[in-house]
Amino acid sequence: MLRTAHLATGLALALTCGAATSANAQLATHKDLTLPIALTIAETAVQTCTAQGNKVSVHVVGRDGEVLVAMRGDGTGPHTMENSMRKAYTSRFQRRPSGEFAKQAKDNPTVGALHLANMIPAQGALPIKVGDDVIGAIGVSGSPGGDKDEACAKAGIDKVADQLK
Amino acid sequence: MLKIAYGAAGLAALAALTAGPANAQLLTHKDISLAMAVTMARTAIETCKGQGYNVSVNVLGRNGEVILGLRNELAGPATFENSMKKAYTARTFRQPSGRFAENVKGNPTAGALFLANIVPAQGALPIVVDGDTIGSIGVSGAPGGDKDEACAKAGIDKVAAELK
Repeated sequence: MLRTAHLATGLALALTCGAATSANAQLATHKDLTLPIALTIAETAVQTCTAQGNKVSVHVVGRDGEVLVAMRGDGTGPHTMENSMRKAYTSRFQRRPSGEFAKQAKDNPTVGALHLANMIPAQGALPIKVGDDVIGAIGVSGSPGGDKDEACAKAGIDKVADQLK
Repeated sequence: MLKIAYGAAGLAALAALTAGPANAQLLTHKDISLAMAVTMARTAIETCKGQGYNVSVNVLGRNGEVILGLRNELAGPATFENSMKKAYTARTFRQPSGRFAENVKGNPTAGALFLANIVPAQGALPIVVDGDTIGSIGVSGAPGGDKDEACAKAGIDKVAAELK
Protein backbone atom coordinates (compact mmCIF):
# COMPACT_ATOMS: atom_id res chain seq x y z
CA MET A 1 0.00 0.00 0.00
CA LEU A 2 2.83 2.35 0.91
CA ARG A 3 4.58 1.38 -2.26
CA THR A 4 1.53 2.06 -4.31
CA ALA A 5 1.19 5.43 -2.65
CA HIS A 6 4.79 6.24 -3.44
CA LEU A 7 4.32 5.12 -6.98
CA ALA A 8 1.22 7.22 -7.33
CA THR A 9 3.02 10.23 -5.88
CA GLY A 10 5.90 9.64 -8.22
CA LEU A 11 3.63 9.41 -11.20
CA ALA A 12 1.74 12.49 -10.14
CA LEU A 13 4.97 14.37 -9.62
CA ALA A 14 6.41 13.27 -12.91
CA LEU A 15 3.26 14.13 -14.80
CA THR A 16 2.74 17.44 -13.04
CA CYS A 17 6.34 18.51 -13.43
CA GLY A 18 6.46 17.34 -16.99
CA ALA A 19 3.35 19.24 -17.89
CA ALA A 20 4.31 22.28 -15.83
CA THR A 21 7.74 22.57 -17.40
CA SER A 22 6.48 22.62 -20.95
CA ALA A 23 8.20 25.99 -21.20
CA ASN A 24 11.48 24.09 -21.19
CA ALA A 25 10.29 21.61 -23.73
CA GLN A 26 9.78 24.20 -26.43
CA LEU A 27 12.27 26.33 -28.26
CA ALA A 28 12.15 30.06 -27.68
CA THR A 29 10.59 31.96 -30.53
CA HIS A 30 11.44 35.58 -31.06
CA LYS A 31 11.67 38.25 -33.70
CA ASP A 32 14.94 39.78 -34.76
CA LEU A 33 16.03 42.69 -36.89
CA THR A 34 17.01 41.99 -40.48
CA LEU A 35 19.92 43.78 -42.08
CA PRO A 36 17.69 45.72 -44.52
CA ILE A 37 15.55 47.04 -41.65
CA ALA A 38 18.63 47.88 -39.56
CA LEU A 39 20.18 49.67 -42.54
CA THR A 40 17.04 51.73 -43.11
CA ILE A 41 16.98 52.74 -39.44
CA ALA A 42 20.64 53.80 -39.54
CA GLU A 43 20.43 55.65 -42.84
CA THR A 44 17.34 57.54 -41.73
CA ALA A 45 19.06 58.61 -38.51
CA VAL A 46 22.13 59.88 -40.38
CA GLN A 47 20.00 61.70 -42.95
CA THR A 48 17.82 63.29 -40.27
CA CYS A 49 20.81 64.64 -38.36
CA THR A 50 22.55 65.73 -41.56
CA ALA A 51 19.46 67.71 -42.54
CA GLN A 52 19.72 69.49 -39.20
CA GLY A 53 23.33 70.36 -39.92
CA ASN A 54 24.79 67.80 -37.54
CA LYS A 55 27.35 65.19 -38.55
CA VAL A 56 26.80 61.90 -36.80
CA SER A 57 27.83 58.27 -36.74
CA VAL A 58 25.30 55.55 -36.02
CA HIS A 59 25.26 52.00 -34.71
CA VAL A 60 22.38 49.54 -34.77
CA VAL A 61 22.82 46.56 -32.47
CA GLY A 62 20.72 43.41 -32.28
CA ARG A 63 19.16 41.36 -29.52
CA ASP A 64 22.49 40.25 -28.09
CA GLY A 65 24.10 43.65 -28.40
CA GLU A 66 25.89 42.49 -31.53
CA VAL A 67 26.62 45.15 -34.13
CA LEU A 68 24.31 44.88 -37.14
CA VAL A 69 25.21 48.19 -38.77
CA ALA A 70 28.16 50.45 -38.06
CA MET A 71 28.01 53.71 -39.98
CA ARG A 72 30.63 56.45 -39.87
CA GLY A 73 29.19 59.77 -40.98
CA ASP A 74 31.18 62.02 -43.30
CA GLY A 75 33.25 64.55 -41.39
CA THR A 76 32.44 63.18 -37.94
CA GLY A 77 34.80 63.13 -34.98
CA PRO A 78 36.73 59.92 -34.55
CA HIS A 79 35.08 59.13 -31.21
CA THR A 80 31.58 59.07 -32.66
CA MET A 81 31.86 55.47 -33.86
CA GLU A 82 32.76 54.15 -30.42
CA ASN A 83 30.30 56.43 -28.71
CA SER A 84 27.32 55.51 -30.89
CA MET A 85 28.09 51.81 -30.41
CA ARG A 86 28.33 52.14 -26.64
CA LYS A 87 25.18 54.23 -26.39
CA ALA A 88 23.32 51.60 -28.42
CA TYR A 89 24.76 48.79 -26.31
CA THR A 90 23.74 50.60 -23.13
CA SER A 91 20.23 51.12 -24.43
CA ARG A 92 19.87 47.47 -25.44
CA PHE A 93 21.29 46.28 -22.15
CA GLN A 94 19.06 48.55 -20.05
CA ARG A 95 16.03 48.16 -22.31
CA ARG A 96 15.47 51.92 -22.18
CA PRO A 97 16.86 55.14 -23.61
CA SER A 98 20.55 55.53 -22.74
CA GLY A 99 19.65 59.03 -21.56
CA GLU A 100 17.54 57.55 -18.76
CA PHE A 101 20.48 55.47 -17.62
CA ALA A 102 22.60 58.64 -17.72
CA LYS A 103 20.15 60.36 -15.37
CA GLN A 104 20.20 57.42 -13.00
CA ALA A 105 24.00 57.38 -13.03
CA LYS A 106 24.03 61.08 -12.18
CA ASP A 107 22.07 60.39 -9.02
CA ASN A 108 24.11 57.32 -8.26
CA PRO A 109 27.64 57.65 -9.70
CA THR A 110 28.71 54.33 -8.25
CA VAL A 111 25.95 52.31 -9.90
CA GLY A 112 27.51 48.97 -10.77
CA ALA A 113 26.43 48.99 -14.41
CA LEU A 114 28.79 51.89 -15.07
CA HIS A 115 31.68 49.50 -14.61
CA LEU A 116 30.56 46.97 -17.19
CA ALA A 117 32.15 46.89 -20.62
CA ASN A 118 30.65 49.23 -23.21
CA MET A 119 28.22 50.90 -20.82
CA ILE A 120 28.15 54.67 -21.12
CA PRO A 121 25.97 57.25 -19.35
CA ALA A 122 25.11 59.34 -22.39
CA GLN A 123 21.89 60.27 -24.15
CA GLY A 124 21.43 59.46 -27.84
CA ALA A 125 20.27 55.83 -28.07
CA LEU A 126 16.88 54.17 -27.97
CA PRO A 127 15.83 50.54 -27.64
CA ILE A 128 14.14 48.97 -30.66
CA LYS A 129 11.05 47.12 -29.52
CA VAL A 130 8.45 44.72 -30.81
CA GLY A 131 5.69 45.11 -28.27
CA ASP A 132 7.54 44.90 -24.96
CA ASP A 133 10.36 42.80 -26.35
CA VAL A 134 13.61 44.69 -26.88
CA ILE A 135 15.14 43.26 -30.05
CA GLY A 136 17.97 45.77 -30.41
CA ALA A 137 18.91 49.41 -30.17
CA ILE A 138 20.12 52.36 -32.20
CA GLY A 139 22.78 54.76 -31.00
CA VAL A 140 23.71 58.12 -32.49
CA SER A 141 26.69 60.35 -31.72
CA GLY A 142 27.96 63.63 -33.09
CA SER A 143 25.22 66.23 -32.54
CA PRO A 144 25.84 69.05 -30.08
CA GLY A 145 23.64 67.47 -27.41
CA GLY A 146 22.41 63.99 -26.70
CA ASP A 147 18.81 65.12 -27.11
CA LYS A 148 19.52 65.93 -30.76
CA ASP A 149 21.21 62.55 -31.24
CA GLU A 150 18.21 60.86 -29.66
CA ALA A 151 15.77 62.67 -31.94
CA CYS A 152 17.60 61.23 -34.97
CA ALA A 153 17.58 57.78 -33.39
CA LYS A 154 13.83 58.12 -32.96
CA ALA A 155 13.41 59.17 -36.60
CA GLY A 156 15.21 56.00 -37.62
CA ILE A 157 12.92 53.77 -35.56
CA ASP A 158 9.80 55.66 -36.65
CA LYS A 159 10.73 55.05 -40.28
CA VAL A 160 10.30 51.28 -39.86
CA ALA A 161 7.57 51.38 -37.20
CA ASP A 162 5.14 49.42 -39.36
CA GLN A 163 7.69 46.62 -39.77
CA LEU A 164 8.35 46.25 -36.05
CA LYS A 165 5.66 43.71 -35.32
CA MET B 1 83.75 90.02 -48.13
CA LEU B 2 83.19 87.26 -45.62
CA LYS B 3 79.93 88.91 -44.55
CA ILE B 4 78.72 89.04 -48.08
CA ALA B 5 79.57 85.40 -48.51
CA TYR B 6 77.52 84.53 -45.43
CA GLY B 7 74.71 86.66 -46.73
CA ALA B 8 74.77 84.81 -49.99
CA ALA B 9 74.80 81.51 -48.17
CA GLY B 10 71.77 82.66 -46.16
CA LEU B 11 69.92 83.55 -49.32
CA ALA B 12 70.77 80.18 -50.75
CA ALA B 13 69.37 78.51 -47.62
CA LEU B 14 66.17 80.52 -47.99
CA ALA B 15 65.93 79.39 -51.59
CA ALA B 16 66.35 75.81 -50.42
CA LEU B 17 63.51 76.27 -47.95
CA THR B 18 61.13 77.65 -50.51
CA ALA B 19 62.15 74.78 -52.77
CA GLY B 20 60.67 72.37 -50.23
CA PRO B 21 56.99 72.93 -50.92
CA ALA B 22 56.25 69.33 -49.92
CA ASN B 23 56.60 70.45 -46.31
CA ALA B 24 55.01 73.81 -46.76
CA GLN B 25 51.64 72.62 -48.08
CA LEU B 26 48.88 70.58 -46.55
CA LEU B 27 48.21 67.16 -47.99
CA THR B 28 45.28 67.01 -50.33
CA HIS B 29 43.57 63.70 -50.83
CA LYS B 30 40.25 62.14 -51.72
CA ASP B 31 38.26 60.01 -49.31
CA ILE B 32 35.30 57.67 -49.52
CA SER B 33 31.96 59.20 -48.56
CA LEU B 34 29.43 57.28 -46.48
CA ALA B 35 26.94 57.36 -49.36
CA MET B 36 29.48 55.73 -51.66
CA ALA B 37 30.34 53.14 -49.01
CA VAL B 38 26.66 52.26 -48.60
CA THR B 39 26.27 51.79 -52.37
CA MET B 40 29.35 49.56 -52.56
CA ALA B 41 28.38 47.42 -49.57
CA ARG B 42 24.77 47.04 -50.69
CA THR B 43 25.84 46.07 -54.18
CA ALA B 44 28.27 43.49 -52.81
CA ILE B 45 25.59 41.96 -50.58
CA GLU B 46 22.98 41.92 -53.36
CA THR B 47 25.43 40.46 -55.87
CA CYS B 48 26.30 37.60 -53.54
CA LYS B 49 22.63 37.17 -52.63
CA GLY B 50 21.84 36.85 -56.33
CA GLN B 51 24.30 33.98 -56.46
CA GLY B 52 22.72 32.33 -53.44
CA TYR B 53 25.27 33.46 -50.85
CA ASN B 54 24.64 35.45 -47.70
CA VAL B 55 27.59 37.66 -46.86
CA SER B 56 28.62 40.35 -44.40
CA VAL B 57 30.57 43.35 -45.67
CA ASN B 58 32.90 46.01 -44.30
CA VAL B 59 34.06 49.13 -46.10
CA LEU B 60 37.13 50.81 -44.64
CA GLY B 61 38.65 54.20 -45.24
CA ARG B 62 42.14 55.51 -45.79
CA ASN B 63 43.31 54.82 -42.25
CA GLY B 64 41.76 51.40 -42.05
CA GLU B 65 38.86 52.88 -40.07
CA VAL B 66 35.44 51.29 -40.51
CA ILE B 67 33.19 53.52 -42.58
CA LEU B 68 30.46 50.94 -42.87
CA GLY B 69 30.02 47.52 -41.30
CA LEU B 70 27.04 45.38 -42.27
CA ARG B 71 26.31 42.15 -40.44
CA ASN B 72 24.16 39.85 -42.51
CA GLU B 73 21.85 38.09 -40.07
CA LEU B 74 21.67 35.16 -42.48
CA ALA B 75 25.43 34.69 -42.63
CA GLY B 76 27.63 33.00 -40.03
CA PRO B 77 28.66 34.99 -36.96
CA ALA B 78 32.32 35.03 -37.99
CA THR B 79 31.61 36.77 -41.29
CA PHE B 80 31.34 40.23 -39.77
CA GLU B 81 34.79 40.06 -38.20
CA ASN B 82 36.27 38.28 -41.17
CA SER B 83 35.05 40.83 -43.70
CA MET B 84 36.57 43.62 -41.60
CA LYS B 85 39.91 41.86 -41.29
CA LYS B 86 40.05 41.03 -44.98
CA ALA B 87 39.32 44.64 -45.79
CA TYR B 88 41.94 45.85 -43.33
CA THR B 89 44.48 43.53 -44.95
CA ALA B 90 43.64 44.80 -48.44
CA ARG B 91 43.91 48.42 -47.30
CA THR B 92 47.17 47.91 -45.45
CA PHE B 93 48.97 46.07 -48.23
CA ARG B 94 47.27 48.03 -51.01
CA GLN B 95 46.39 44.82 -52.82
CA PRO B 96 43.70 42.16 -52.88
CA SER B 97 43.76 40.23 -49.60
CA GLY B 98 43.87 37.08 -51.72
CA ARG B 99 47.21 38.14 -53.18
CA PHE B 100 48.57 38.64 -49.68
CA ALA B 101 47.27 35.16 -48.82
CA GLU B 102 49.13 33.74 -51.83
CA ASN B 103 52.31 35.60 -50.89
CA VAL B 104 52.45 34.24 -47.35
CA LYS B 105 51.58 30.69 -48.32
CA GLY B 106 55.27 29.90 -48.67
CA ASN B 107 56.17 31.85 -45.53
CA PRO B 108 53.80 30.97 -42.70
CA THR B 109 55.90 32.94 -40.21
CA ALA B 110 55.85 36.19 -42.16
CA GLY B 111 55.86 39.02 -39.63
CA ALA B 112 52.82 40.68 -41.17
CA LEU B 113 50.69 37.69 -40.21
CA PHE B 114 51.21 38.61 -36.57
CA LEU B 115 49.87 42.13 -36.83
CA ALA B 116 46.39 42.93 -35.53
CA ASN B 117 43.55 42.50 -38.00
CA ILE B 118 45.67 40.95 -40.73
CA VAL B 119 44.17 37.81 -42.23
CA PRO B 120 45.48 35.73 -45.15
CA ALA B 121 42.12 35.22 -46.85
CA GLN B 122 40.73 36.17 -50.24
CA GLY B 123 37.63 38.34 -50.45
CA ALA B 124 38.74 41.96 -50.14
CA LEU B 125 39.94 44.54 -52.65
CA PRO B 126 41.60 47.92 -52.24
CA ILE B 127 39.67 50.95 -53.42
CA VAL B 128 42.02 52.98 -55.57
CA VAL B 129 41.87 56.47 -57.06
CA ASP B 130 44.70 57.39 -59.42
CA GLY B 131 47.06 54.92 -57.82
CA ASP B 132 46.14 56.09 -54.33
CA THR B 133 44.54 53.49 -52.05
CA ILE B 134 41.77 55.36 -50.28
CA GLY B 135 40.12 52.37 -48.62
CA SER B 136 38.96 48.83 -49.18
CA ILE B 137 35.96 46.55 -49.20
CA GLY B 138 35.91 43.12 -47.59
CA VAL B 139 33.31 40.37 -48.06
CA SER B 140 32.83 37.13 -46.13
CA GLY B 141 30.25 34.37 -46.25
CA ALA B 142 30.39 32.88 -49.73
CA PRO B 143 31.77 29.33 -50.08
CA GLY B 144 35.17 30.45 -51.38
CA GLY B 145 37.17 33.65 -51.20
CA ASP B 146 37.01 34.01 -54.98
CA LYS B 147 33.25 34.34 -54.77
CA ASP B 148 33.54 36.88 -51.95
CA GLU B 149 36.03 38.83 -54.02
CA ALA B 150 33.75 38.86 -57.06
CA CYS B 151 31.04 40.53 -54.95
CA ALA B 152 33.57 43.03 -53.58
CA LYS B 153 34.51 43.86 -57.17
CA ALA B 154 30.86 44.32 -58.12
CA GLY B 155 30.59 46.85 -55.29
CA ILE B 156 33.58 48.85 -56.48
CA ASP B 157 32.51 48.63 -60.12
CA LYS B 158 29.15 50.13 -59.19
CA VAL B 159 30.80 53.40 -58.11
CA ALA B 160 33.71 53.26 -60.58
CA ALA B 161 32.55 56.45 -62.30
CA GLU B 162 32.77 58.33 -59.01
CA LEU B 163 36.21 57.08 -58.06
CA LYS B 164 38.16 59.95 -59.51
